[in-house]
Amino acid sequence: MGFFTGFAPTSTASLFSRQLISYRQIKNLGISAEAVKATEKPVEPASLNNRSLMAEMSTENQTTTEQLADADPKEEDSDPESNPRNLLIVITTTRSNDRFREFFLTRLAHTLRLVPPPLLWIVVEPHGDAPKTAEMLRKTGIMYRHLTFRENFTDPEAEAHHQRNVALSHIEHHRLTGIVHFAGISNIYDLQLFEEIREIEVFGTWPVAMVSANRKRVMVEGPSCRSSKVVGWPVEDLSYGTTNDAPNTDTGSVGKASKATRINISGFAFNSSILWDPERWGRPTSVPDTSQDSFKFVQEVIVEDETKLRCIPPDSSKIMLWHLHIPRVIPLLFRRNQNRR
Amino acid sequence: PQLKGGELMPYWLRKGRSWVVIQDKGIKAPSGSAGDVLEDDPVGRLKVFVYELPSKYNRKILQKDPRCLTHMFAAEIFMHRFLLSSPVRTLNPEEADWFYTPVYTTCDLTPNGLPLPFKSPRMMRSAIQLISMNWPYWNRTEGADHFFVVPHDFGACFHYQEEKAIERGILHLLQRATLVQTFGQRNHVCLKDGSITIPPYAPPQKMQAHLIPPDTPRSIFVYFRGLFYDVGNDPEGGYYARGARASVWENFKNNPLFDISTEHPATYYEDMQRAVFCLCPLGWAPWSPRLVEAVIFGCIPVVIADDIVLPFADAIPWEEIGVFVAEKDVPNLDSILTSIPTKVILRKQRLLANPSMKQAMLFPQPAQPGDAFHQILNGLARKLPHAEKAFLKPGEKILNWTRGPVGDLKPW
Amino acid sequence: MAAYRSSPALSDGGGADGMGKSQASCFWLLLHGLCCLISLVLGFRFSRLVFFLLFSTTTLYTSAPVLRATTTTTTTTTTTTRTETLTLSLPNHPPLPPPAVHSVPNRTRSRVVVGRHGIRIRPWPHPNPTEVMRAHHIIDQVQREQRLQYGVKAPRPLIVVTPTYVRTFQALHLTGLLHSLLLVPYRLTWIVVEAGGVTNETAAILARSQLNFLHIPFPEKMPTQWAERHKMEARMRLHALRAVRERLLDGIVVFADDSNIHSMEFFDEVQKVKWMGAVSVGILAHSGNSEPTPDRQFREEDKENFPVPIQGPACNSSGQLVGWHTFNSLPYREKSATFVGEAATVLPRKLEWAGFVLNSKLLWKEADKKPNWVRDLDAVGKYGEELEDPLALLKDESFVEPLGNCGKKALLWWLRVEARSDSKFPPGSNSLTYLIVEITGRLDLIFTIAYFG
Repeated sequence: MGFFTGFAPTSTASLFSRQLISYRQIKNLGISAEAVKATEKPVEPASLNNRSLMAEMSTENQTTTEQLADADPKEEDSDPESNPRNLLIVITTTRSNDRFREFFLTRLAHTLRLVPPPLLWIVVEPHGDAPKTAEMLRKTGIMYRHLTFRENFTDPEAEAHHQRNVALSHIEHHRLTGIVHFAGISNIYDLQLFEEIREIEVFGTWPVAMVSANRKRVMVEGPSCRSSKVVGWPVEDLSYGTTNDAPNTDTGSVGKASKATRINISGFAFNSSILWDPERWGRPTSVPDTSQDSFKFVQEVIVEDETKLRCIPPDSSKIMLWHLHIPRVIPLLFRRNQNRR
Repeated sequence: PQLKGGELMPYWLRKGRSWVVIQDKGIKAPSGSAGDVLEDDPVGRLKVFVYELPSKYNRKILQKDPRCLTHMFAAEIFMHRFLLSSPVRTLNPEEADWFYTPVYTTCDLTPNGLPLPFKSPRMMRSAIQLISMNWPYWNRTEGADHFFVVPHDFGACFHYQEEKAIERGILHLLQRATLVQTFGQRNHVCLKDGSITIPPYAPPQKMQAHLIPPDTPRSIFVYFRGLFYDVGNDPEGGYYARGARASVWENFKNNPLFDISTEHPATYYEDMQRAVFCLCPLGWAPWSPRLVEAVIFGCIPVVIADDIVLPFADAIPWEEIGVFVAEKDVPNLDSILTSIPTKVILRKQRLLANPSMKQAMLFPQPAQPGDAFHQILNGLARKLPHAEKAFLKPGEKILNWTRGPVGDLKPW
Repeated sequence: MAAYRSSPALSDGGGADGMGKSQASCFWLLLHGLCCLISLVLGFRFSRLVFFLLFSTTTLYTSAPVLRATTTTTTTTTTTTRTETLTLSLPNHPPLPPPAVHSVPNRTRSRVVVGRHGIRIRPWPHPNPTEVMRAHHIIDQVQREQRLQYGVKAPRPLIVVTPTYVRTFQALHLTGLLHSLLLVPYRLTWIVVEAGGVTNETAAILARSQLNFLHIPFPEKMPTQWAERHKMEARMRLHALRAVRERLLDGIVVFADDSNIHSMEFFDEVQKVKWMGAVSVGILAHSGNSEPTPDRQFREEDKENFPVPIQGPACNSSGQLVGWHTFNSLPYREKSATFVGEAATVLPRKLEWAGFVLNSKLLWKEADKKPNWVRDLDAVGKYGEELEDPLALLKDESFVEPLGNCGKKALLWWLRVEARSDSKFPPGSNSLTYLIVEITGRLDLIFTIAYFG
């Protein structure tokens, strides 16, 4: 009788049999994992047979952390799960041996540190400059990915373009879901802008105030909008120089040189799934091979489909982003083709 | 190397070459430390006699390939050197509680530095023959009061493939001996009762060179660098790491909380020091140096290896320190980790921050109180006194010298 | 372990009397029950074993002949950490059935099965937003604990003195400084001294700042000559120091110009000051003309500026202050800017105020153990005396404490960049809300408007 009870489907036996059925040969097969109890009981360790540490630890007294003056004035301990927010993916590219880099990166890091999570900061850098920046990034406490590349460039615009593609291919490779924004290191943000960016579904754009040292004019770039719909684009850039006049290349413009669309590189954000799940956004995947140049792909998508473009703020009157251009000679002697008007 | 920001130097670091536990004035070792048993001093609690073997069993092999001093199995060499100069060593075998045979079985390396296990059984057998002929102490107990260091993938099964290792089983001659090994998995043929599991060797200076101030904010939730698929040997996946690593990649590659990739950045050690959890999944073998690195760098080890037995498990309450996740639960790793109460996480970090916890994971040169060498001796001391049946009646024979695969019987 | 039948024949034994018989029978009954129980347990275990053996063999496929090539060092740029150990071997034959059950009775089979397993992927691919928030909460708590555990014990409050005035770049600069101050983990009071009196623009920025601040007017208007401006800013700082003295504010005084940017280490390092300390400042001097002239040779002073020159304390080998590193302005002799907004290099003072910190008790009328080598604040700046830098507050400079590992590393950066002084942003707009479009009165006008003053 004992023998036969052994075959009765007890819990372990059935578990074993279910495992049996669901195994299949193909590699990434879906196995419906049964719901896990909140705190999985860890596997029992070998029995502690000597003056066990367990006893000693149970009498553990609180360390003196309480007595320390509570250093952190902002002690808000809001319930963490109350308002889950979309992920912000902020991409920053830095110029090789730009001597203002640490200054600008530190300032941008302070701003990004104040943006409520989840935020992922992707910093792309030439390999040679990585160690010093890594040390600085470590101290910020921000969740970041530090991507480096070994190719070297003489043309800063080509370098910036390559860096953007390094960042975008990282997003594609990992299939990250969030709203992507290119934050130039000399950008100064009103924190409110990040919360607006989070609400973007497909594309969003906003005005960027372009200012330079010792210049008289302030140039504001961006769409003119009414109730968050784009109604027009700057037809003619009246100011001197175009958006990519400044040698600081991360102000390179988006959109083909077509006169209609000139979006500042920091003046827009888009849903990352466009990169790795085009059908979802009505994009035929049979688009000519853009796998190599994801950034060009994004530019084309923006230009083609303005209906999905959303303006932040709705009447795009409030400036929430400044781009401060400070001339600094990058000791790399290189030829710049100034496409001046 | 003088650490930058010397003021905040972590308290288990000494400016000199090796580790020493110092109490930095500012930082008191947090109470609730997994420390006191680790700080036992074995000197005086046991005596070890070190057999003098011809150099072909040890020194010559090392001379042939010095890389044996830096790979994960280097414990077998450093333990020998440690015992030679340790106060527990006795030159009089009569008073010895334990007998050590210095035979480097994991130092026969392939061109790219991986140990070949095929000669190891014959080498071990030849060494035992030698000591049984030249000293009476082996035959007295047939090894019951002898210990051997066998740090290879599956210990004294002497094979890197698990099926082959299981098929071979533990070398018959070592049935009664105590095995000091890295491999540990419950109910596994290659882990004998009474064995002492030790951490894999990780070069202390290399880790020390990458130390960063402990106040560097930990901004990575889960960190892992390594293979998810072993394309060379198991392209389809599911065999390597029993599919656990592939499952980590497929489920969490798109999760920004998981900073995981196959590329090892130059900041690998620095990144571990700014991560809350470090994954320690099984590979071809269940153990890996990641556990040692995680402890040294204060990153909570997430052990994914069913039935694994971790180093010095009888002295270190690993489940208080790490997080154990069954291989079948890997798909819910994010739910599991995010549901751990914060105060439990902070407590685990305090336990990890304890200097004796880190010291017990290292084989420093020269040896330091409380390091892995001393924990091995503590382990041996805890097994004393030997049971009565360890000592055989005169002429009594239990072991059969000719048992085991034929290949093992060839002279070495 | 063979199952054995357990029903011993009920022996009738010598039942001497009824009582003995019933006792014996109940004894046998008991014995019989016991044996049944044992056989039940043994049988159960034996069948479980058979069940396991039966099924486990069939689940193991013959794994594809696995050619084991050596994979050793994972491709790493610099660190070569090896993760797996594998050696060259012949393609292995299909795995053998698990070895016969070990003879030791209590050794149950390990539930870990060697061989090919399925790769478990849960159906819901994307991360769960609630769990992501909980993870970030954990990270935040861990970082807070790190600060308590390794940060400055019993930190003192900071008093940040910032001279400012309304101009095109005010909001831009103040926002940068504001974001740094918001991250300071210590109690902080921000004293903002505004030239030309308190204005709405500055008040609006401070109101949104969530910091506790002191907005003090300073009557004079900010001059447009750089030389005058530096003197004016010194007077504004002195004005703020007098406020500290009158209100007996206790803490560490920090001179943060609105265009400085600080590393967070700066605010930890200044906690170490006893009376007056000095740190190194990175001087970001730039050519000032944003007319990018391509193909320009690398100018002499640019060579000078690479990497960033440092201004700060110089010490001897035992860490005592022996002098100061200052910015070499020689190469800029004729090319330095004289008025604000001129397209030329703005030069720093010999020693910028931003590099100094002091214990506010130095400024009080009396404070216990106040050193005698400091001048009385009331006597300072009298009769038009111009203060070049905080050293003017002292009778003897040698007591200044070199901080930041004796200034080895710049803990903050000095930068002077302004728009042309005649460029105006419409007055009355608050903080970053520059309602340019309103000025043109037509919302839908083509947006890019170069605003000519």
